[in-house]
Amino acid sequence: MEKDFIIAGFGGQGVLLAGEVLANGFMLDDKKVTWYPSYGAEMRGGTVNCSIVMADEEVSAVQKSHADFIIVLNQASFDRFTPVVRSGGTIIVNTTLAEPVKTRSDINYVFAPITQIAEEKLGNNKISNILALGVLSAASGLISLDTLEKALYNVIPPHRKSLIPKNIEALKLGYEYDLLKV
Amino acid sequence: MTECLTNKKVLIKGNYAIAKAAVLAGCQCYFGYPITPQSEIGEFMSGKMQELGRAYVSAESELAAINMTLGACSTGVKAMSSSSSCAVALMQEALSYATADELPVVLVSVMRGGPGLGNIYPSQGDYFQSTKGGGNGDYKLIVLAPSTVQECVDLTYKAFYLAHKYKNPTVLLADGLLGQMMEPVEFKPYPYPEIDNSAWALSGAKGRDGRVIRSYAPLADNQCEFLKKLYAKYKTIEENETEWEENGVEDADIVLVSFGSTSRNVRTAAKLCREKGLKVGIFRPITLFPFPSKRLQEISTKIKKFVVVEVNMGQMVQDVRLAVNGNVHVEQINKGVGAPPSPEEIAARIEELV
Repeated sequence: MEKDFIIAGFGGQGVLLAGEVLANGFMLDDKKVTWYPSYGAEMRGGTVNCSIVMADEEVSAVQKSHADFIIVLNQASFDRFTPVVRSGGTIIVNTTLAEPVKTRSDINYVFAPITQIAEEKLGNNKISNILALGVLSAASGLISLDTLEKALYNVIPPHRKSLIPKNIEALKLGYEYDLLKV
Repeated sequence: MTECLTNKKVLIKGNYAIAKAAVLAGCQCYFGYPITPQSEIGEFMSGKMQELGRAYVSAESELAAINMTLGACSTGVKAMSSSSSCAVALMQEALSYATADELPVVLVSVMRGGPGLGNIYPSQGDYFQSTKGGGNGDYKLIVLAPSTVQECVDLTYKAFYLAHKYKNPTVLLADGLLGQMMEPVEFKPYPYPEIDNSAWALSGAKGRDGRVIRSYAPLADNQCEFLKKLYAKYKTIEENETEWEENGVEDADIVLVSFGSTSRNVRTAAKLCREKGLKVGIFRPITLFPFPSKRLQEISTKIKKFVVVEVNMGQMVQDVRLAVNGNVHVEQINKGVGAPPSPEEIAARIEELV
């Protein structure tokens, strides 16, 4: 089995970090995994994304033309990555920063006001990225909250350990977001 | 450094993995000048080497960095530099001198697009640069080509070992994709024996005659003798150190040849071909010098076709053609620069070629 993930948004939204947490999670689950950043001459405020490939056997191509699960944290990423979702796949859309419009009938849409929830419930919109991983956990069923929690400890450096409880809370909020509301 | 040693897997970028492995291999001196896509190596070294009381120098240029590495190596210590394509080009003169001086230089070359300034996307366009060299005279560099982040670690260890064992500059030839991607890795202790350099190292002449390391031979005959000796060494390296990976070659009609990160996609492409009933095997040189010519020649008598897949305009394909010497057709699937062709693309091309 191989599953491909893309996380995309503005530079500064923690897209690469969220990818690192997800990839660490798959590693903790004893999966083969690769993480590859969008890579080029980028600038601050521009769009950024990373590809995570999880597989049972050694990952071949680290960059895929399509993905099974895509998280988009802003409108630009929503527009760019909707065509890239594999048929039958899922796109998780941060509706605080993107219009919830369905343009394809062969994919699943998960609309969640990710940034708004982070702001209102946690008082910090910077945790949107981790909250989105909670949504992914629920929507995909491919990684547990428990594993993602452990992955946070791998990724967050020792001098930022105080931020871990809030990040765990974000994971839970994302996980518990009612996907059926859409 | 013990904190780096772990039986537990850690998710790490290729560049950091290389840098950590170099430190664990006992690298005492690092000299470098930043360039994308390998800057993380210098970044890691700038902190870790100081912490361990080892030498880190952010040189004023690539020319300075590689010549500082030559200087450090002449004292017998493990020393390295790292750079990328257009900046490795600046180091060619020093690499030629290092082969003549027989210095154990380790250079990490993380390839990006070329020629000229090119771009920062992954590429395999420096196969020629590393295996054929841009420096003057008859010389060879030992060249190791990893295809996973774990191999970035294992082959960095090996680069230090081979450089010192054979007193020959050794290149770890990675690319922007391996440098920037993350993959789970295990850091085991440096597995090779330490090489005694006391017979030649410039370690201070107290109590003995002074030594000189230089590549100047004013008498023509001396240089002929030296080159014979140098090439006898290269023959030994070919006999002892040639390394490759092959899979599904025994019953194959077509064998796909690739090196480095491209091999990841090629492996899956071969699998896709097998699923379609095509007898396809894979062959991956791990050492680019010494090149596994002998094995390729053996295989060439049993198969119908080699297909060489690389992210350049066709470089290693020339060495494969030399190795099989007209025994079978050697075709190529290539892409100039960027991510390697996808497994599906490669498989589709193979179907066309059958």
